[in-house]
Amino acid sequence: MTAPAGRQRRPVVLLRPVPGNTVVHRLWAGTKLIVVAGIGVLLTYYPGWIPIGLVAVLVLVTARLANVSRGALPSVPRWMWGLVFLGCLTATFAGGSPEFTIGSVTVGFGGALNFLRITVLSIVLLGLGALVSWTTNVAEIAPAVAKLGRPLRRLRIPVDDWAVALALALRAFPMLIDEFRILFAARRLRPRDDVTRPVRGHRWSTELVDLLAAAITVALRRADEMGDAITARGGAGQISAQPSRPKWPDAVAFAIVLAMCGLSVYVEVFTPLATS
Amino acid sequence: MAALSAATAIIAVVVPFAAGLSVLGTVPMGLLAYRYRLRVLIAATVAGGVIAFLIAGMGGFMTVVNCAYVGGLTGIVKRRGRGAPTAFAAGVVAGFVFGLLGTGALLVLSRLRNLVFDSMTANVNGLAAVLNRIPGLETVAVRLKSDFATILDYWPVLIIGSSILSITMVTMIGWWALSRVLSRLLGVPDVHKLDVIDGTGPAAPVPARLRDVTFRYPGATHDSLGPVSLDVAEGEHLAVTGANGSGKTTLMLLLAGRTPTSGTIERPGVVGLGRPGGTAVVMQHPESQVLGTRVADDVVWGLPPGAQTDVPRLLAEVGLDGLAERDTGGLSGGELQRLAVAAALAREPSLMIADEITSMVDQQGRDDLISVLSGLTQRHRMSLVHITHYNDEADTADRTVNLTGNGGTADNVEMVATAPAPKANGAVTHAGAPLLELHGVGHEYGSGTPWASTALSDIDLVVNEGDGLLIHGLNGSGKSTLAWIMAGLLEPTTGTALLDGKPVADQVGAVAISFQAARLQLMRGRVDLEIASAAGLDYHDHSQIVRALGMVGLDPALGLRRIDQLSGGQMRRVVLAGLLARRPRAIILDEPLAGLDAASQRGLLQVLVDLRRDSGLTVVVISHDFHGLEELCPRTLHLRGGAIAAAPTTTTGGLS
Repeated sequence: MTAPAGRQRRPVVLLRPVPGNTVVHRLWAGTKLIVVAGIGVLLTYYPGWIPIGLVAVLVLVTARLANVSRGALPSVPRWMWGLVFLGCLTATFAGGSPEFTIGSVTVGFGGALNFLRITVLSIVLLGLGALVSWTTNVAEIAPAVAKLGRPLRRLRIPVDDWAVALALALRAFPMLIDEFRILFAARRLRPRDDVTRPVRGHRWSTELVDLLAAAITVALRRADEMGDAITARGGAGQISAQPSRPKWPDAVAFAIVLAMCGLSVYVEVFTPLATS
Repeated sequence: MAALSAATAIIAVVVPFAAGLSVLGTVPMGLLAYRYRLRVLIAATVAGGVIAFLIAGMGGFMTVVNCAYVGGLTGIVKRRGRGAPTAFAAGVVAGFVFGLLGTGALLVLSRLRNLVFDSMTANVNGLAAVLNRIPGLETVAVRLKSDFATILDYWPVLIIGSSILSITMVTMIGWWALSRVLSRLLGVPDVHKLDVIDGTGPAAPVPARLRDVTFRYPGATHDSLGPVSLDVAEGEHLAVTGANGSGKTTLMLLLAGRTPTSGTIERPGVVGLGRPGGTAVVMQHPESQVLGTRVADDVVWGLPPGAQTDVPRLLAEVGLDGLAERDTGGLSGGELQRLAVAAALAREPSLMIADEITSMVDQQGRDDLISVLSGLTQRHRMSLVHITHYNDEADTADRTVNLTGNGGTADNVEMVATAPAPKANGAVTHAGAPLLELHGVGHEYGSGTPWASTALSDIDLVVNEGDGLLIHGLNGSGKSTLAWIMAGLLEPTTGTALLDGKPVADQVGAVAISFQAARLQLMRGRVDLEIASAAGLDYHDHSQIVRALGMVGLDPALGLRRIDQLSGGQMRRVVLAGLLARRPRAIILDEPLAGLDAASQRGLLQVLVDLRRDSGLTVVVISHDFHGLEELCPRTLHLRGGAIAAAPTTTTGGLS
């Protein structure tokens, strides 16, 4: 686990599942999307300590089940830690209701606890989303969205078009990342001459437009080629070879999450354990 | 329609990135709203939103929705031909609406609101408490505390106000950027070729009889093809050869259903592009051909719902058996093209057109592809039209038609030959002083994560001044990683890469690198601006730009040409001109000849050979090809599996 010299930063890896074939990997992609959305709603309505704690436990247990090692986490930049620490410090100075007295000094932790709660909430929500992208093959997402959106078809909403667009976007994602990587590398290779101050802002803005125009040109070119490929195949239709549908592990997952949500709402609404 | 949905999808990918760049996520969305209908914008929002959600959770999703809203607004205002004041007004209204929505949401989510406000209050009060201890700042502390409390009391006003302010600002920035980008995009040619031109009725594209057919693109001054008379019989394997500009691709378009400018094309039924029993087309770019994320998904992609396909059999036929579950992202160019052939076969076409499908593929991949193609007409009831500019590929066909072109590019008549791999002779070194030194260089992507993969290991390499070195390797051999390390764009995870004894990574720009995708390296709209910017020249000093253009054998008149009107070969030369005008210590060329026709290849090579001979330029070429590079690169190094290999890599393996 120890990285050589410890100074190398772990990069953010996007939309690539952690290798493995665990229960979590095999869950239907739609289940995961619903669970994440549901928990998102729960936590925006009841951001209390107990719901947050329960979701955190869920995230940790799922991560363990899915064999997601700690290495999957990207390195947190140092300034972020600094920011959190600073926020915590100023919040502590505000004092607040749970007060502890050590010797002659009384420290109130109310403010700090509030700050801590919102920080943990964000981390838990991010972790939940990350778990989905770490355990789901991107090929399964678009068919799942198509299936989940099927009821919307009755409202004449073009769900299938959306699914095709999503599938193509996910396919194009790594290609465009590569192209943007080259784009930025090409920019790094260019000389950066020192210009007089009033011109600098102007220079910066032209550069931004240049970069954006280049990126969009590249994307449009790619789009034209892919469009040709779609035409050559006679338009859009199937997007997946193996139809995927929820199975009994999905039912179990739903049951667990529902129970957890129910418990959270009960605690928050009817018991004195609720957080303000 | 197809191009549209692809554009939608791909623009959707750009949005999260542009949003990350700054507030410019609105620009791609604005572009979509400007060009297409609202429906397209919504589809792009959904696709972009889901991706952003997968990357950054709910916040990412909301960012994309925001960008779509604001960008859509600016795009629509732009399309209606209104000016900045309208955009400003729209921004204010949009900000108000968003503020109202936000206020409404916070009214409902009282607990979240309390938490956020409490947390903010705690931070402010804490700050006030600290200030209170500092003599002289007590009043400031009290003011801070009480003012913040007052502001929070009127939080709906605060939220609506800040929403109006921020959204108007974002709208105006987006408006400004969109206007600039749109004017830049005017010159971007529409490179899409195929259109669905299809009547009803049974698909029966062969036998096709072309009689005195010519074709002229709208607005062109001369015919791109013809007059041509040609028969495509049932079940035959026809090769069409000819140099760039001879009209090969135009012939493909006509066979795929375009109406000729003059002459007649007779077929028993309709073309049926992509339909069962109709016409299938496989094109040049491997990555753009493949539409599915998983190999099996790609084979069935676009088939009508309910159609049954024997995916394993099709994959076995093109030599991809057992790869059905693999991600298409990890396939090599040759494998991708074979997959595209399998997808075409899934439609059981009567006519398959392969348009230069090998030109972006390495030698091994080319051999495999040709062996797949050569048996197709025996195994299936179909005709195959194989368009190529490699003469040896035409040999497997029943019949060859050579298009000689139409005057405009008559000097490009010769064909590209393929060369055998020369022996590795890495031990022979040049007399010059060591310039680039790599000691024990290795590189691992994603170190410390579950996705870690080793691209290079233990590379020792010295490039001397004035050297001409060819680094040869197949897909996945790590040659591009090596190029990036040598140019200082990547820091190796182990070992050192030194230029003049100092790490290259600290001297980015001293070693020039030209990427395979030349277009990505051209950022300005016009050739002279581009060269001035890439080389750090003053663009008013015309003589320097003329000199730079002359160095790569380009006409100075080209300086005023728009970048997007250049051919592939010209783009590469413009990149070279910009790089060389900075007098780099060495230049690295990644696949400099890929996708160029014979004449352009020869011209570019001559320029490089002359430069190396006359100005002692150090040249490192990264390629999977050998042809014509012997003179430029007397020294060859073979890379296999991320390590230096002794023997050439093309002789092994093959499609069984």
